[in-house]
Amino acid sequence: MNGQIRKLVAGLLVLYVLLFAALNFTQVVRKDALNEDPKNNRQTIRDFNRPRGEIVTADGVVVAQSVASVGDDQYKYQRTYPSGDLFSGVTGYYTYAFGSTQLERTQSDVLMGDTPSQKVQSVFGGSVNTGKVQLTLRADVQQAAADALGTHEGSVVVMDPTTGAIIAMVSYPRYDANAVATHDTKQAEDVLNFLGAYPGKPLLNNAYQENYMPGSSFKIITTGIALEDGVATLDRTWPNETEWVPPQTNDPIQNYSGHVCGGAMAEVFYRSCNIPFAQLASELGPEKMSNGVRAWGIGEKVPIDLPGAASSSFCGNVSPCDASFFTRQLPLLAIGGFGQGNTLMVPLQMCMVASTVANGGRMMKPYVVDATLDHGGKVLQRSSPTVWKTPIGAGTAATLNTLMVGVVNKGTGKPMQLANGVQAAAKTGTAQLNATGQPQRSHAWIVGFAPAAAPRYAIAVMLKGTTDEISAGTGGRLAGPIAKQVLDFLFVSEQQ
Amino acid sequence: MTQPSPLAAARRRSELGLVLMAAGICAVGYVLASFGKNATMPATIVPFLVALLAMLIAANVATRFLARGADATLLPIAVLLHGIGYVMIARLSDRRAALQTTWSFIAVVAFVATLLLVQRPPDLARYKWTFLFLGAGALMAPLVPGLGTSVGGARIWVSIGPIHIQPGEFAKIALALFFAAYLADTRELIAAGTRKLGPLRIPEMRYLLPITGAWAFAVAVMVAEKDLGSALLFFTLFTVMMWVATERAVFLVLGVLLFAIAAYIAWRLFPVVRLRVDLWRNPWIQYEGKGYQPAQAMYAFANGGVGGTGLGLGSPNKIPAASTDYVYAAIGEEMGLVGATAIIIAFLLLLGAGLRIAVRAERAFEKLLATGLTTIIAMQAFIIIGGVLRLIPLTGITLPFVSYGGSSLLSNYVLLAILLRISDSGARQRGDVPDELTISERLEARRLRRATPGAQPGEQVDA
Repeated sequence: MNGQIRKLVAGLLVLYVLLFAALNFTQVVRKDALNEDPKNNRQTIRDFNRPRGEIVTADGVVVAQSVASVGDDQYKYQRTYPSGDLFSGVTGYYTYAFGSTQLERTQSDVLMGDTPSQKVQSVFGGSVNTGKVQLTLRADVQQAAADALGTHEGSVVVMDPTTGAIIAMVSYPRYDANAVATHDTKQAEDVLNFLGAYPGKPLLNNAYQENYMPGSSFKIITTGIALEDGVATLDRTWPNETEWVPPQTNDPIQNYSGHVCGGAMAEVFYRSCNIPFAQLASELGPEKMSNGVRAWGIGEKVPIDLPGAASSSFCGNVSPCDASFFTRQLPLLAIGGFGQGNTLMVPLQMCMVASTVANGGRMMKPYVVDATLDHGGKVLQRSSPTVWKTPIGAGTAATLNTLMVGVVNKGTGKPMQLANGVQAAAKTGTAQLNATGQPQRSHAWIVGFAPAAAPRYAIAVMLKGTTDEISAGTGGRLAGPIAKQVLDFLFVSEQQ
Repeated sequence: MTQPSPLAAARRRSELGLVLMAAGICAVGYVLASFGKNATMPATIVPFLVALLAMLIAANVATRFLARGADATLLPIAVLLHGIGYVMIARLSDRRAALQTTWSFIAVVAFVATLLLVQRPPDLARYKWTFLFLGAGALMAPLVPGLGTSVGGARIWVSIGPIHIQPGEFAKIALALFFAAYLADTRELIAAGTRKLGPLRIPEMRYLLPITGAWAFAVAVMVAEKDLGSALLFFTLFTVMMWVATERAVFLVLGVLLFAIAAYIAWRLFPVVRLRVDLWRNPWIQYEGKGYQPAQAMYAFANGGVGGTGLGLGSPNKIPAASTDYVYAAIGEEMGLVGATAIIIAFLLLLGAGLRIAVRAERAFEKLLATGLTTIIAMQAFIIIGGVLRLIPLTGITLPFVSYGGSSLLSNYVLLAILLRISDSGARQRGDVPDELTISERLEARRLRRATPGAQPGEQVDA
């Protein structure tokens, strides 16, 4: 019988080795596949029972944090956003059942302490190893921008033109991430459904996740391309005209409100005549114009360190956007020269366009995360300024700077003349949205920077033409005062 | 009165040392689980430690007096498994932890009582027919109207007032006792096989009938109760015992063949079996229904990974039967591959120790009984762990010593006591430890001395 018993031991041993193999298969080999199964919410549950680090502004204001849950909450920690709706467009939300957005999504590993270096450290340190995300945004400027924008649909972006660091980025309508972060799944779902259906897309950060027709603010780009090419110089003059008929059509192009407009380069720029820029685009032709706008990063996703960025376009939704599209559409190319027709710009990218002029022709990569830090405050990663594009040379940038100073001093950008004699430079835009005969609808833009001699802040203000109030005005008159209010705040706050 | 035995003393010392180590692991686990769950010391830590030590010392004292030559590793392994299971149950449900505490006490009392009542293994062999009828009765009890209750589709419970018992857990020991005793008597007759059928020699039917009848009855009852796990367990037990007893591989082949046929018929006839097979292949086909639990078990293992989430930090409560059938998945989640492997190794050591006892036993009955009892534990653990891991289709059954459940715990401690008794008996027969009179034999001797005038004190009396 002992022989059989020994064989029985061997047989049972084989069965147990099979168990061990099956265990390894499930727990090691298939681990990731199972953890990523959409039906599996264990990871989320685990995350909601662990603390999560803070998101802090450049001036030290906590805008996202985890606090101990109150009452008989099923999870230990509740994510809260102390600034309410002010930073939701940057932090995003962190929910139990509906995922997360913006920095809560892209910086989740740092916040949870899950990056490799944090994990190694937690082996030697304490049990809490949450990380911290330090923003480039300033809470005071963000508040000032939100106050200046008020309840106008649109967005305000302020950045440092020399580094690409975003200092403020607000859009309206926006939402309060606290309403979505509740552990009451039903309530969170209702809020998300409501916000998803709300006009004006409050869940999207309009400043970088949407694009709009730029109107005359686009003339910076057309002029930049033309100056680089040589078809435009400061000496060139245009006759006073009311209309001009581009090739391939009988339909004439007019200036804003049908005005008579003309003069030297500087004058047509600060008065924002349309015809000279339509002619410049036509003279450059499809090839040079489409290459030129590509050099400004148009057609690519805005390279910000936030998810879901939109891209600007010179051809609307047409793809591919190259010379062949315009060869048969020369009138479209002409009106594209002053930012009408198929031209669509992301507000953040317009801020980057102003920054390029301010920064001697170098377009910096925009970023909102200054640094990520571990639990002990040691820097995990610090953002370093990077040049994204160099669409124009320093000379062209200096010329455009002069032209944009003229806009503020003598032209459509007068409302942006700053307090205490700080010299600003700007370009306005009023994008005509409606077809002839329909109610007037236009977006109001202003993009610029200050001080003009040594620029430290670039700004883009964009107001959506969804109301009669905005549609009746111009970029200079409507967006100008908002830009002035924000820039004045910046310079005044520095003097104190 | 007791002769000193260095070997016996060493065995009991190692047993105490190992048991205290197992207890230490469990106590640390108990505290960690509380920290993981509530970030506080467990409120019940003092009563927990007192009760744990009291039970373990009682068990060790019992083996010192009642089975001092027995194997030193069986009790510590059982304590480790029992303790890890208890930590998991306490972490999952306070109410169940309280009940499991009570059952743990009863199980230790039953362990000591078994050692006390069964002092010589042949005592058990004498009652083989009684065990057959007790086992059969226990198996049928849940089918009696008014007595039996159905839980989760299986009618395997008996309710007497507030107490719910799974008599099948005890039937498995009774039937193993019967098989061992009957086969010890008739194994040579069965193996010899006087009739010829082609190349096969067939045993006399009259020797085969009682045992195949008992087995067929047991399996039929368990199929009627839809307790497929136990049916599979009995099938294996019977096949293994026949094979070991007769030393003829034909019984093993026959067993596997019969099993294959039975499995196919069950798959054709019972929708329950077909569902189990479908869910084994892919639990996600019925994620909103019966597949939820096996799928959650998969997620639990994945969530645990190699190191586990840590005690009290996973979500094993998402598995509905986390403290019973699926306790292994809960362990896999919170203690990871490391902890789950430790459980497999513990069962391997347990079956190794059990079968070593069988190999070293001198008498056929003891050999077969140790084989049968060890096979029960080893196969039961394999069936449920394999089912939870989706190595084989799931058939609900408890994980010995680990799962929540009074009947299971109680019967497994009785089983453990019998194994220790066989081990002790073997040691005495081989002369490893002095073969002294048992307590009952001493009492009998004293009675005889008193009844026999002129006998000298200290003189050996053949009881």
